[in-house]
Amino acid sequence: MNLHHLPNQRPNEHVVLFLRRHWFSLLRIGCAFALLTILPLSLLWYFWNSVSVWIQEPFLGPLLTMVGCMYFLSIWLFVFLEFTDYYLDTWIITNERVLNIEQEGLFKRTSSELDLASVQDATAETRGFFETMFSYGNLFVQTAGEKVRFHFKSIGHPEYVKELLMRHVQEDKQRVVHTKETK
Amino acid sequence: MSFSFPEISIPVFSFLGIFGLYMACYVLYSLFNIFHLVKYGIAGNGLFLIVFTFLGGTILLVAASIFLLLPYDWTYAIPLNQITDVFNENVAL
Repeated sequence: MNLHHLPNQRPNEHVVLFLRRHWFSLLRIGCAFALLTILPLSLLWYFWNSVSVWIQEPFLGPLLTMVGCMYFLSIWLFVFLEFTDYYLDTWIITNERVLNIEQEGLFKRTSSELDLASVQDATAETRGFFETMFSYGNLFVQTAGEKVRFHFKSIGHPEYVKELLMRHVQEDKQRVVHTKETK
Repeated sequence: MSFSFPEISIPVFSFLGIFGLYMACYVLYSLFNIFHLVKYGIAGNGLFLIVFTFLGGTILLVAASIFLLLPYDWTYAIPLNQITDVFNENVAL
C-alpha cells in the first residue's frame, strides 16, 4: 500500500493523519520476546553441568537439541506474527474519510471506511496507569446510523486525534453543504 | 512386574521427519507473514528493513540449528528394550 494512492482515493483527497497503535503495544511484544528467550537460556546456563551430559547422549542429545531449535524458531515466528498484527493495524484520517484497516492473525483482515460528513461524535478514552503515563488510549467514532462505532485501538494522544478529527468533520460537512448549494 | 518390548529399534533419524514437518509449517507461516507485510504494509525502507530482519533472523536460526544438529550420529538406533530397562530398574527400586 502507498499513502499517496489510497484505496478508492477521491479527487483532492489527502492524508491528514496516519495512525498505528502506540509504541507501548510494541514494547509488550518486545518484553514477551525477551522473557521467552532469556528465561530458557538462563535455565540452560544454570543447569549446564547436567544439560551438557544429556546433549552428548546418542539418543537424548539430538532430541533435546531439536526441541531447543524448534522452540527458538517458534519464538522468532510468534514475535513476527505479533509484529505483523501490530504493523498492519492502521487508521488513516483523510480530509474526506476515515479508513480502518485491521489485521487479525494471518487469515483475517477487515477494511472499512467512513465518510467524515456522517460522523456524529467522537469519544477519547484513556484509562489505567500506563495509558495515563504514556498518553495513549482508545478513540470511538460514532456515526448517525446504528452501525458499530469505529474503534481506534491504543493510539497515541487520543484527545488530540479527536480534536483534529472533529475539526475535519466540521470542514467536510461544510464542504458537502457548499457542494449541494452550488448544484 | 516388568515390561518388555519386542526387538524393535527406533532410529534417531526418524526425529528428522518431525523436524522436517515443523520446518515445512514454519516456512508456510513465514511466507504468509511476508506476503501480508509486502502486500498490505506501507511501501518503503521501513518495510524492507522489517522483511530483511525477519529473513535474516530466520536464516541465522536455521543455520544455528543445522550447525548444532549436524555432528550427531543420525544412524544410531535405540532398541526399545533399553527404554524399558530404565523403567524396570525404577520399579525394582
